[in-house]
Amino acid sequence: MFLQGLAAGATSLMSFGGLFSMPAFAAQAKREQKHCILLWLCGAPSQFETWDPKPRTAYGGPFQSISTKVPGVHISELMPKCASILDKLAIVRSMKTKQEEHFQAIDLLTRGNATRPPFVRPTLGSVLGQQLGQLNNPIPNFVLLDPCPEGNEFKEFKAGNWAGWLGAEYGPARFGGEFRPPDMDRVAGLSQSDHEAREELWKFFSKKFENDRKSAAAASHNAVFERVKGLMSCAHVFDLEKLPPKDKEHYGPGTFGLHTLMARNLVENGAPFVMVANGMPWDGHVFNHEIHQMLVPDLDRIVYQLVTDLEQRGLLEKTLVVVMGEFGRTPWLNTKRGRDHYPNAWSLALAGCGIRGGTVVGATDKLGVDVIEKPFNEQNLFATIFTALGLDPYAEYDVKDAANLPTFHRVENRAAPIREVLLNGGAA
Amino acid sequence: MNEEKKEAPKLSVKSVKEIKLPTGVLALDVSTDAKHAFASCIDGGVYAVDLISGTNDKLGEHGSYASGAALVAGSSLLVSAGYDGVLQWHDTQERKTVHKVSAHNFWSWQAAASADGKFIASVTGQYLCGGYKYEPLPEREPSVRVYETSSGKLMHSFTHVPPVQAVAFSANGKYLAAGNLMGEVRVWELSSGKQIATFTTPSFTGWGIIKGHYYTGGIYALHFMANDEELYLAGMGSTTDPAAGNGKQLWQRFQWREGRKLSETADGDSGRGLMETLAFHPSGNYFAMGGRLENGKWSLAFFDVKTGALLHSLDTKSRVTKAVFSADGLRLFTGEALGQGKPKDGKIPDFGRITIYNLA
Repeated sequence: MFLQGLAAGATSLMSFGGLFSMPAFAAQAKREQKHCILLWLCGAPSQFETWDPKPRTAYGGPFQSISTKVPGVHISELMPKCASILDKLAIVRSMKTKQEEHFQAIDLLTRGNATRPPFVRPTLGSVLGQQLGQLNNPIPNFVLLDPCPEGNEFKEFKAGNWAGWLGAEYGPARFGGEFRPPDMDRVAGLSQSDHEAREELWKFFSKKFENDRKSAAAASHNAVFERVKGLMSCAHVFDLEKLPPKDKEHYGPGTFGLHTLMARNLVENGAPFVMVANGMPWDGHVFNHEIHQMLVPDLDRIVYQLVTDLEQRGLLEKTLVVVMGEFGRTPWLNTKRGRDHYPNAWSLALAGCGIRGGTVVGATDKLGVDVIEKPFNEQNLFATIFTALGLDPYAEYDVKDAANLPTFHRVENRAAPIREVLLNGGAA
Repeated sequence: MNEEKKEAPKLSVKSVKEIKLPTGVLALDVSTDAKHAFASCIDGGVYAVDLISGTNDKLGEHGSYASGAALVAGSSLLVSAGYDGVLQWHDTQERKTVHKVSAHNFWSWQAAASADGKFIASVTGQYLCGGYKYEPLPEREPSVRVYETSSGKLMHSFTHVPPVQAVAFSANGKYLAAGNLMGEVRVWELSSGKQIATFTTPSFTGWGIIKGHYYTGGIYALHFMANDEELYLAGMGSTTDPAAGNGKQLWQRFQWREGRKLSETADGDSGRGLMETLAFHPSGNYFAMGGRLENGKWSLAFFDVKTGALLHSLDTKSRVTKAVFSADGLRLFTGEALGQGKPKDGKIPDFGRITIYNLA
């Protein structure tokens, strides 16, 4: 199950694995390694109860706002820990997108562009996994941590094509909860030397078969085997039980926090991209305030701990943290104590690599109904993410079947990044 | 309580008046002469409403949603509660706020006054993640507070598992019951301050499987029978999708000392949606339960106490947050919230309602 999305074409990256037998090269690559952790708040949190509070207004809800470390900036009272490190976070309060249904919005905000059937654009994790992936790291280049097997539209999305035209080898390896790699231990009774001998024999015959038949299927199979072999060597970083108890206290006890801790560990071990989700719990059509009273303090603690830990480990400047859902929630309450879907004016947060902390960009009107200053869409966001990570946002995709594809770019229309949140405005 | 009647009373319910308020009504009480209502609303306002003219005056204001409104028997006082955790005493004749008590660090979910007017109780508690499955974290302050209405003095602080969403005094004022998100009811004897019973019903609490792994629902209304030995609970039946609000419209009747369930909403009588209020007719023959309709036929319904049978039901097209019978039993008053509308010409449409029903 966890291999869902890994089942095609051999990756050329692996053929360069020998470079890493050179210690100097490997050390430099590790130093320059950049990472991204996406805290995916699926279902879509309310901007009013997080980053863009409107206390004591008609639509503001019951929660107040609090001051932050950045003078003049207030966020929800449910986020005191983030308020204390707001000088390390950048908030975008003027996201304005067009999809108001979950599946389409998840698709839009994970791929960064509207769909253009039949072509399937790779998701952010697939692109960053390809671009930032290390050649010698056994940890998958795109890890999805999501213990929730359900999730309505997100479940449907998860079953789909994440890697698009990059090829399935750039899809996510999924862990969390019941999604754990099976058969990770060497078979009982098999010695290490026998195990290695078997592997060598398998490698010889399978490579011979692949070469003789020029078989893409065999190549794909071999690639998957290599990935599994890699996973066997790092299974411990996917084991919640092996996480340090003190760290678990800080992040836990809920599953989202524990998986964010796992994401931190994965990044420490070289993972380029980790997406942490937990089903789609933020969909507050019913009990919006009752749900946010719990989920937002949980998120507050988790974001604070993650950013603080990354900084203490010297990883924050190399790790981009993105905190967002697929849209926001309506200003107006429905009769179910809830807020409904609202792509018209919503917020997200960024921190770390390439990001200028303490920045708040964009604004909504007094009631939070519309963006009144600097609207940004998914293309602006993706241009920001790529720029922050040092990638050319407008690079053309170089894919195997290019002859059959129109020209695609990482970000279309040369949409501008959100320069206000970028260090040096994003200048290289 | 007359439970000797063999036949369910026939009931006619007719809406005769609707009074608009600027924002949703979260709590309501009605004067014994049924001429005035007092409404706590989403804008934080506590309003005195003239039920004849339909006009209103603001009595006071909370720092967040106003969530409780309870007239103090034998006085001109109204005690309101709010999501600011504050209880406010208002003189309904002088039209002014006379006392304030900071009762909780989080919301007052609900407040209730004892029938003799001596005490006011308020319940609180924030649902915070306390376990791998998002079990509630233990309380950080007492979840239940009881104050003397005449002095505002704190009489009792009781512990519970937050969030505690419903509270009720027994008819004789001896006991206090409070129910929470997890379906746990605790009962205290007020003279001794001792907890004398606890029971848990799993029926009102849902753990999200479909969308999110956490708990929703819980007990939203409690009411002691006149004999004080039985307790009614109301809320929404368990649902696995916290975003759907599609649990059964549910009441349950318990013998609370033993935690023994006696009866509950019959399957054929209920639709889907959260029920937030219980009110018993002065005759003791029937009761009203109201809330929101997600799926089915009604948001306000009347049930026979003896048999549990559905007597009458209607769809108010609103969220019914509080139902109060007039002292003479001839009318029912409901506090309601509609969905908030989008701004029109720079103004947000009124979305609070008080509806008056004639009963026969």
